[in-house]
Amino acid sequence: MESHEYDWYILFPNHHQGLRLNRELKEQGIKNTIAPTPREASTSCGMSLIVGEADLESIMAVIEAKSIIIEKIVKIARKEWQYRSC
Amino acid sequence: MADYKQMWTDLGMDLEKHDLLCEVLPEAFGGVYLSQQNRPQGMGFYDFVVSEIHGVRPAEMLEHQKQGGKVFGTFCVYVPDEVVFAAGGIAAGLCGGSQFWVSGGEKVLPANTCPLIKASVGARLDKTCPFFLIPDMYVGETTCDGKKKAWEILAGEVPFHIIDVPQMKRDKDVAAFEAEIMDFIAMVEKVTGNKITAERLGESIKLINNKRKGLQRLYNARKASPVPISGKDALLVTQIAFYDDPARCAQMANQLAEELEERVARQEGVFPANALRIMVSGTPMAIPNWKLHHIIETAGAAVVVEESCTGTRYFENLVDESATTVEGQVRALAERYMKTNCACFTPNPGRVEDIVRLADEYKVDGIIDTNLQFCNLYSTESFLVKQALADKGLPVMHIETDYSEQDYEQLRTRIEAFLEMLRK
Repeated sequence: MESHEYDWYILFPNHHQGLRLNRELKEQGIKNTIAPTPREASTSCGMSLIVGEADLESIMAVIEAKSIIIEKIVKIARKEWQYRSC
Repeated sequence: MADYKQMWTDLGMDLEKHDLLCEVLPEAFGGVYLSQQNRPQGMGFYDFVVSEIHGVRPAEMLEHQKQGGKVFGTFCVYVPDEVVFAAGGIAAGLCGGSQFWVSGGEKVLPANTCPLIKASVGARLDKTCPFFLIPDMYVGETTCDGKKKAWEILAGEVPFHIIDVPQMKRDKDVAAFEAEIMDFIAMVEKVTGNKITAERLGESIKLINNKRKGLQRLYNARKASPVPISGKDALLVTQIAFYDDPARCAQMANQLAEELEERVARQEGVFPANALRIMVSGTPMAIPNWKLHHIIETAGAAVVVEESCTGTRYFENLVDESATTVEGQVRALAERYMKTNCACFTPNPGRVEDIVRLADEYKVDGIIDTNLQFCNLYSTESFLVKQALADKGLPVMHIETDYSEQDYEQLRTRIEAFLEMLRK
């Protein structure tokens, strides 16, 4: 499958780490979106970051350079967002 | 991943049932919010709050309680938060906006009760929301019959104080509300063990006014064309304002407003400049009720203002900060809160005047006047709203809906037809 059909979610042990990476990436102009972690990625609730595949290498470098602790990176097939109530 | 299971267990939550809600949230939020393009960067904070919705803020409240502080759960914009914060407490708006909680409410309430009340009662009884389990006290009011009776049921669960909101707006009614605030002060002092002095109340009045000013500034940016932020995003900001820390709320709203002002200066918008501009008026949309805004905005029109409790009614009118005695401050609070125009008042010409004024200020093309199902007050008042707007030549449609997905396609058809009519 083509890479653009996937979203990449970065998961964290806690939101402090997630917000740190969000801030670092913003400063470096790397696109990332805070999102609730989808069930396909983890059964735990909480924030994750959606990032682009093309940026993964630079993001990993930031994670290492800033000693940010992540839990895992999960690739999830992109689905067409549909309205649903919750 | 953040693990709040211990916190939820300690609160006595039904983890299995709550997990069903956690499962749905990412998809529901993604479908409504993450599907949008060119969102302001400042929305990242609000996306974070939703992502950690039953974690971060509840943990802050529990920490506050550990330090000896008290938490008060509220359900209405007539409850003066200033009093709670002046006593070192936290006030948190609890109104339920989730369909998930409705069935829990229906176990004890008549089916023909509005979904906001059913969801609020269901969230508490089903033990599926930490916000409903944390407060030391609930603060209700008398703004509708459904709520008044629901309070009697919830009072079996948690200590309850009820503020009697007058039904009319004569001078003696403002004086009566002033007396209600004095009673509320006495109750909050008793629960918190802290005296509310003029100095503390004065600081608290400034704190809540600053929050209102931040939200006003954000809404002001929505008057621009093209509009720099979607109605859905603005609605989310207001929904979160109900339970966030007020100082942080003001700070984040101001940051976002600054970004929006820069967008306005660049003439950058999230809809084309010629997109239809819609006002949504009526009953509140508690988090996570985003249905109507989503339908309107995915049909190509922008919601530019909400005349509702989750909109202008929440932050219009500031409390006069000049009083130096508690009595003077309470008078100022009563005067400010009694300016809010809810359909629970009779007569209520101020609300129609607000809608007409906002239509002009935000240059709207049409108004969607809506009420939650079984809300007799707003539903009845819709007749007068329609009549007054017709006199002014302002196009309006009335919609009654709930939190479910059942009428989604039907509403979409009706709204698209309304927008089509506006385009002609």
